[in-house]
Amino acid sequence: MAHAIEIEQLTKRYGSVAAIDGLDLTIEEGEVFGYLGPNGAGKSTTIAILLGLIRASSGSARIFGRDVWREAPALHRRMASVPSEANLWPSLTGEEALRFLGNVHGSVDEAYRAELIDRFQLVTDKKIRAYSHGNRQKVLLVAAFASRPDLLILDEPTTGLDPLMEQVFQAAVREAAANGQTVLLSSHILSEVEAVCDRVAMLREGRLIETGHLDVLRGLVALRVHAGFDRPPPDLTAVEGVSRVTVEDHSIECEVTGSVEPLLRALADAGAVRLTTREPSLEELFVSHYGAGSEA
Amino acid sequence: MTASPEAAIARRSLKQLWVGALVWSVAFGGTVAASALSYVSTFPTEADRQQVAAATSGDAGLSVLLGPTTAIDTVGGYTVYKCFVFLTTIGAIWGLLAATRLLRGEEDAGRWQLVLSGSTRAPRATAATLVALLGAVGILFVGTTAITLAAGRDPDVGFGAAETVLYGLSIAIAPAVFVMVGAVASQLCRTRRMANSWAMAAFGVCFLVRMVADAGPDTRWLRWATPFGWTELIQPFTENDPWPLLPAAATVGLLAVAAVVLSSRRDAGSSVFATSDVTPLRPFGLGSPVGLAARLDLPVLVAWCLGAAVTGLSFGLIAKIATGSVPQSLGDTLDKFGAEGSFVDQYFGVAFLLAATVVALLAAGQLGAASDEESSGRLVHLLAGPVRRVTWFGGRLGLAAAGIVVAGLLAGIGAWAGAATQGVDLGFSTLVGAGLNVVPTALLVLGIGAVVLALAPRAAAITVYAVVIGSLLVDLLASMVDGLAWTAHISVFHYMALAPASSPDLGTLVLTTLAGVGLCVVATLLFVRRDVALG
Repeated sequence: MAHAIEIEQLTKRYGSVAAIDGLDLTIEEGEVFGYLGPNGAGKSTTIAILLGLIRASSGSARIFGRDVWREAPALHRRMASVPSEANLWPSLTGEEALRFLGNVHGSVDEAYRAELIDRFQLVTDKKIRAYSHGNRQKVLLVAAFASRPDLLILDEPTTGLDPLMEQVFQAAVREAAANGQTVLLSSHILSEVEAVCDRVAMLREGRLIETGHLDVLRGLVALRVHAGFDRPPPDLTAVEGVSRVTVEDHSIECEVTGSVEPLLRALADAGAVRLTTREPSLEELFVSHYGAGSEA
Repeated sequence: MTASPEAAIARRSLKQLWVGALVWSVAFGGTVAASALSYVSTFPTEADRQQVAAATSGDAGLSVLLGPTTAIDTVGGYTVYKCFVFLTTIGAIWGLLAATRLLRGEEDAGRWQLVLSGSTRAPRATAATLVALLGAVGILFVGTTAITLAAGRDPDVGFGAAETVLYGLSIAIAPAVFVMVGAVASQLCRTRRMANSWAMAAFGVCFLVRMVADAGPDTRWLRWATPFGWTELIQPFTENDPWPLLPAAATVGLLAVAAVVLSSRRDAGSSVFATSDVTPLRPFGLGSPVGLAARLDLPVLVAWCLGAAVTGLSFGLIAKIATGSVPQSLGDTLDKFGAEGSFVDQYFGVAFLLAATVVALLAAGQLGAASDEESSGRLVHLLAGPVRRVTWFGGRLGLAAAGIVVAGLLAGIGAWAGAATQGVDLGFSTLVGAGLNVVPTALLVLGIGAVVLALAPRAAAITVYAVVIGSLLVDLLASMVDGLAWTAHISVFHYMALAPASSPDLGTLVLTTLAGVGLCVVATLLFVRRDVALG
């Protein structure tokens, strides 16, 4: 599979502060890639470099094999982006803004645009200044998806959308993926990333701390196990890989990392009658990576 | 100790105003001092003063254009006459722009709503802002008065303290009233741009009514109808009549109350006058970034070009009256600007210097709009699309340059048309040539502003204002005060021939144009290399 985005040792400094520091990242064509990190981690800086808006201090970033700074205008014909701040021209109507953005981009699937306007329930004869933040965001989302680009770069694109519109957005991302389009989705909404992304990268203070398939990443975090007994539960604290044990009358709850075999053996020996396990959510994954550091 | 939220609002507003007010007070005081000092050196004897007074007093043309001509045989009367239009115009425009910036501008940006979410309410916050605006007018008054007092200590000038204070108050009328006009417009209109247009329209009407009031004895009563008339009626240094301060104070008070009451009767972010937010599609300008810039800035460009045409036309219309009977001494004064030839030529030479100011300031608005597009984050939608940076930046500069050429052309055509109706025939090509003669200088100003836009976008518009107004003041001072003649070299207007009084040198025109275009190219090269503001 060809690379859609290749980032090598990418660094952006503002004076002595590194907004991103030695970033390495590869995104394959056709992937829906989640880009996660707390505020100020460097997500928007990375995206601004990929869009050719700001210049990297060192390292390289290529999209479809072409340099993002030198070949920006030519590259942008194959891309579309949605920034997190939906600032548009207040005196234009939604329809006028969509026409303008379409003309600037050069390629628009008119039928798909009409369908998206309908699905996002966008009123297009109103002036932008009368739109809510969510509606302005919808204008940019419709313009981006309707241009059917090979690569969509979305920087927190659903801030301000209600839950129903969030569903419409996720459906549009899935359609793009089904068409073989690549999507880079930077987001704070972990359920959204969980719902649409194949792989994710986590960023902290300008550095990547984790990259991989969601399933693999989940494996790095403890599995939550709940077991029921018809007698007093056993003491599991000494079992290999087990932590955070809480005991009630006839049940026990704990976390296990690594192999589950020692725990299963201990539970079987103790005569467990019920067993439920739960995979960690992306949110728990996120908190385990970022929350622990802040607690320390 | 807990400070009230209104005190905090007033302090913050004054913080945004005081530097500008101080700079203008120095410019105002400097202009007054230069006028008074140049008068006593140009017309040292009583006979000189009688001669210039005999020629100008009762001259309707000069009176319509420049205001009170009744006491030109005195240093005070001449100073008031000489500075009248400049100080009242700048004062009024500064006042209304400051008010719309702090009221509607803050609301446009969403910051006003944040202020109102604190423990204050709209009328109280508006009143606090108005107090700060009046504080800034106070700074303007104190600075102007102090510098005038200092100049008045010169025994030849000999201004008394009380009459100088009265003069300072007369100068403060226009900014104080138009601060309140801007405040009311900010309540009535939905956007700052619209509030500025309405307040500027009010200014235009007052300006015209004042011109009519000075046209002859039948219309003299109209002086009581406008702030400019009140300033004129006080006649500082001669009659010293304080009564016109009364309607001025009453108007300021009434407009302030109106602004505060209106602010309590509307929602934050909305306006008293509802405008429709639903409109059918207008495809004009949606094809390209330059097209959209042209569409969004067209009203401003048209207004500016009309302004240049009207400036030319009004100078043309009064050319005959203004140049009919003048003493040699006035011609000598104009000589010092570098205007030579017959008095009609000299007159138009200086008139086109003023037209050049209008044309050059067109660049400020255009560069301001470009900077706004970037800082608001809207530029990102273009540059993240397949738009080349050169296309956007060059398109913006091209639009401004086109506006400058049209405005220069219209100023020339206007002057020719105005003069032709009065039987003053300098020839179409001469006056249109004089209009186009200001274009290279305006392009140079555009180039300077473009470089600033490429390096520090938010400073671009203010730089253009500083360069143009600064150059005009330097030109004014250098022509009046012999010791300051050398400073003329730092004025951009120094390198512009005062056509038609002196014939433009082709080499200088080409060099100035090349300098302007060269700076625009340098600016474009700088812009394509720098990071874009992300909004």
